Amino acid sequence: MRNVVIAATLSIGAILGDAQAEPVWVQVRESVVRSAPKYYAAGVLPVRYGEKVERLSESAGWAYVKVRNIQGYLPLSAVSLDRIVLQARELGQMSADTSDVILAGKGFNKEVEKAYKSTDPEARFDLVDKVEQASKVSSTEVAQFRKAGDLP
Amino acid sequence: MRRAVTKILTILTSTLLGGCANPQFADLGASVLSATGYVDESQVKGFLAAGSKAIKSQEELTPEQEYYLGRAVSARVLAKYPPVLKPALTRYVNTIGRVVSGVSDLPETFGGYHFAVIESDEMNALSAPGGFVFISRGLLRRLKDEDSVAAVLAHEVAHIVHRDGVSAIANSNLFGALTDASRQAAAIGMNNSSIPVDLAPLTELFSTSVTDLTERLLVTGYDRSQEYKADEYAVELLRRAGYRSDSVARVLEIVQSSAATEHGGWFDTHPAAKKRIEELGHGDSISTDCPERAARFAAFVR
Repeated sequence: MRNVVIAATLSIGAILGDAQAEPVWVQVRESVVRSAPKYYAAGVLPVRYGEKVERLSESAGWAYVKVRNIQGYLPLSAVSLDRIVLQARELGQMSADTSDVILAGKGFNKEVEKAYKSTDPEARFDLVDKVEQASKVSSTEVAQFRKAGDLP
Repeated sequence: MRRAVTKILTILTSTLLGGCANPQFADLGASVLSATGYVDESQVKGFLAAGSKAIKSQEELTPEQEYYLGRAVSARVLAKYPPVLKPALTRYVNTIGRVVSGVSDLPETFGGYHFAVIESDEMNALSAPGGFVFISRGLLRRLKDEDSVAAVLAHEVAHIVHRDGVSAIANSNLFGALTDASRQAAAIGMNNSSIPVDLAPLTELFSTSVTDLTERLLVTGYDRSQEYKADEYAVELLRRAGYRSDSVARVLEIVQSSAATEHGGWFDTHPAAKKRIEELGHGDSISTDCPERAARFAAFVR
């Protein structure tokens, strides 16, 4: 029954969405296209920073998208209307009427962090790395945790 | 010769993209460069037009930039308050954090959310841009249940969703400088040049931004209105996640009851708990206590 509901939702979304398809770009390092517009919904396809997806429609903070022939949902906050370019040399291949572009990895970035480290030896980036590493929790664990704790 | 042309093209393009894109200069530049024979005039004009139109003038930090700013601020916070790296406790706090951040209006950040317990007896919790959230061992020890932990984390997630950290950066040149840096990088990158981007001004800007924000987090605190809004949003997140939505008020009561005898942390950086409770009200709660939540809180925190 649950699969039928998901399929119906995806189909309705596809019908509603095709009329206003618009390219958007993934603006987080990694995300996953989901089967329903909920953070905890099952993932159907991983996507990465800078990847172009077609936004078919949007509602309540979620974009209904199509990418690599798969349709599903991404948080609106995870996609950008501005084209994200991973390599500056790609700019040279764009036409003059290209829409707004965000150049990935520029501004505050890894190189700036490295330069900053040398000016602030007391900053503990090693501990930040440990915190990032230690804080990984899978979606499955979160789902089990919610269920066990009677969280809807 | 090719290196010289490369350098000229980079400097010219950088200048044009950096804010003085006068069409006359572009025409002149195209003529000069096409005369070298390495590129034709139309190529150069297209190259300049695409780049100068394309690179967006920044009005806010991108999620990627927020992440690097948050990392640096966290590096300063953790220098003062080291993390408690107990795997079971860390996993427990992160799972609660994921439950509340997952129902927020910013369920994903560039590098993901990271929740950590920090070594401090003060009652304290704070967050940095991009998804870094810290709760002190002192505050955690005084909380009575999982729902209260969720309330504290939800308050900090609210600051991240509202981008209160970025608003604490005083430098009015921030976004102009970041745009210039992107345009300079674009000019150099488009030309495949090996000339490095000058990192010094950007690093200086980064450093002052980190200092501004760290001081705001550890010393002065956010504006009162930002704190009240974070309390209100935390209640909403608890409601969405299924936790007791009166848990924010219950945490504030604990803070208030300690106000006469404790100092530092939240007592220095947040409005008085009594005032926050007045602003928030107690509200009602549709969720009730859950034995499983009580059991795992006892196992991981007590």
